[in-house]
Order: sequence, then C-alpha cells, then structure tokens
Amino acid sequence: MHPISYFQGAMLGLLQGVSELFPVSSLGHSVILPRLVGWHIHQNDKFFITFLVATHLATALVLLGFFRRDWWRILKGLGRSLRDRGIDPADADAKLGWLLVVGTIPAGILGLLLESSLRSVFASAQSASIFLFCNGLLLFGAERLRRRAPQTADDDDTRIARQVGWRDSALVGTAQALALVPGFSRSGATMAGGLLVGLSNKDAARFAFLLATPIIGAAAVLKLPELAGPDGRGVRGPALVGALCAAVTAYLAVRFLMRFFETRTLVPFAVYCLAAGAACAIYFATT
Amino acid sequence: MSNRRLLATAAIILGLALIAVAIVYWAEPAKSLPSFFPGHESGSNHHHTKHGIASFLVGLACLVFAWFNTGQQKRPTQT
Repeated sequence: MHPISYFQGAMLGLLQGVSELFPVSSLGHSVILPRLVGWHIHQNDKFFITFLVATHLATALVLLGFFRRDWWRILKGLGRSLRDRGIDPADADAKLGWLLVVGTIPAGILGLLLESSLRSVFASAQSASIFLFCNGLLLFGAERLRRRAPQTADDDDTRIARQVGWRDSALVGTAQALALVPGFSRSGATMAGGLLVGLSNKDAARFAFLLATPIIGAAAVLKLPELAGPDGRGVRGPALVGALCAAVTAYLAVRFLMRFFETRTLVPFAVYCLAAGAACAIYFATT
Repeated sequence: MSNRRLLATAAIILGLALIAVAIVYWAEPAKSLPSFFPGHESGSNHHHTKHGIASFLVGLACLVFAWFNTGQQKRPTQT
C-alpha cells in the first residue's frame, strides 16, 4: 500500500505548484491541508519529505524553463565579469547575476543548517496557521512601508540591477530563510523585501522568482537520493504524479503572477493569509 | 600593503581554509571531527554533508571576492 495515494499526490502536487510561487507558503499549506481533510500525512514523515522533493524539483524546472532566456543572459554576464575581474556598471546582467549569488548564499547556508530543526519545532498545523496569519501581516506591512523609487530604465533586469544594492540583496536573500518555518512564504518574504528596497511589484516578483530558482532546485537535488533510495519506496509513483501536477500549476502560477503584478499589489494575498490563517488557527484550537 | 590587497589576501586564506574544512566534513564522520567543529559528536558515524556544502560555498565566495579585488581597478571615464 502507498503511504500517499495517487489522488493525494495529485492534490498535494497541484497545491504545491501554486502555493510555492504565490506568496502564501507552500509548506504551510501542505501542513494545514492534510489536517483539514483528515489525511494521515505529517510533514516530518520521511515519505512526505521525499514526496516534496519531487514536487519542488518540478517547480524549480518550470521556473528555470520560464526564465531560461534571462538565466542564459545572466550566466553570460557572470562569465564576462569573472573574465574582466570586475562588474561593469553598464552590464546589468552581470550585476543581476552577482546580486542573485549574494542573495542565495545566506539563504542556502541558513537552509542547510536550520531546515531540519525548524521543521521539527514548527511541525503542527496549529503553528502553521498562526505563521500563515503572520505572513499576511508581513505582506500587508511591506505594501504599507514600501519605497516608491523612480523607474529609470525600460528593461526589467536593468531596473532591478540599478535599484538593488549588495546589502539589499543579501537581506532579501536572507529573508527567504523565513520560509523554513511552515506558514511563512519564500516568495512572499522576497517580494516584501524587494518592495522595501524600492522595486515595483512586477520587478519584486521577477527578482523573487529568479532568487527562488537556485534555492528550490538545489534543495530538491540535494534530497533527490532519498527519492531513489529506500525512503522513496511506495512514494515514487504518487511523487511522479504530484510532480507533474505541480509543474502544470507552477507554470500557470508564474504566468499569472507576472501579469498580475504589472498592475496589482500583494494586498489580496495578505488578506487571504490573514483570513485563512485566523480561520484555521481557530478551527484547530477548537477541534 | 594597500587595504584592497590586505582584504584579498585575507579572503584567499579564509576561502582555502573553508574549502579544507568542507573536505574534512565530507571525509570524516561526526565522531572523528575536531571537537571545536560544529557537528562533532562522539560515537556518531553520521557525515555532516550539509555542513560541508555550506563551508564550501562560503569558501568559494571568499575566493571570488579575492579574484575581483585583485583585478585591475577601473577608473570612471572622464566626460
């Protein structure tokens, strides 16, 4: 018997694809949903972690594919700067590439060192609901406190490279580590950070997705051996279905969000997190 | 020695040391790690692979920093 059924795998995959990129916490939702519908799946179960590896890998591949032209330009920019032993102020691709490196290193280190301990401390659906509510406050606060800098360039990457400094990038990257706590969203934290350093909603979302790709991908690749090993026994089939479902919804989500943030803000997501977090916290406290 | 050179030298030494630490983490089980290393645990055969990756990445970042700092400094063009 499979510890996760194919139906559960598909549902969790669909949810993961959307909630990983929407600023509403994928980990929080994958903790809360099984408890809400009465599934005996716990986020610290080995098989569930193995299942999540597959869905995360699918999401990272979708992000990589969606921004493939940007990544190619960024990699060429990184190569140019290494060759020239300096970053040309006019080379937005190189600057953006190093901003992403600077943002990824602290998040990667914190993730590597704190992931398992935070996972076990904040494992309950009750705490995930409370942190989902806090995530709503974070998004709402970022919209209230945001800096509106003048938009001086037509190209998205040039605007980001001009607006974001090295320290900003390190802070925004470090904020991703918040997502280790179920209920806080990685993309929410980075988008909020982007708004606070003066990016527009669209540029903050773009920066967040570029920043998320290496972290989500590396986390999945690091744990891929678990999927192939004994922990993956009985989970591989549902994980494959979940990964395919996650890929479809992740693609739709990133397409939707890149258009949505051209004109809209984080407020609808903040309202959702506040309402869903409060409702679930009350429900779990009373049942 | 200028400040730039001093920083670059420190970054190279730190970078190489961190990469060496990473190799120790990958090669030795927790029980054989020096006692001042985070993750040292007597009797444990667990390999702290993640600690090694973290140490390697920071070491690499130090070397990249040194690489940039030892390159020729570009002067802003006069207009």
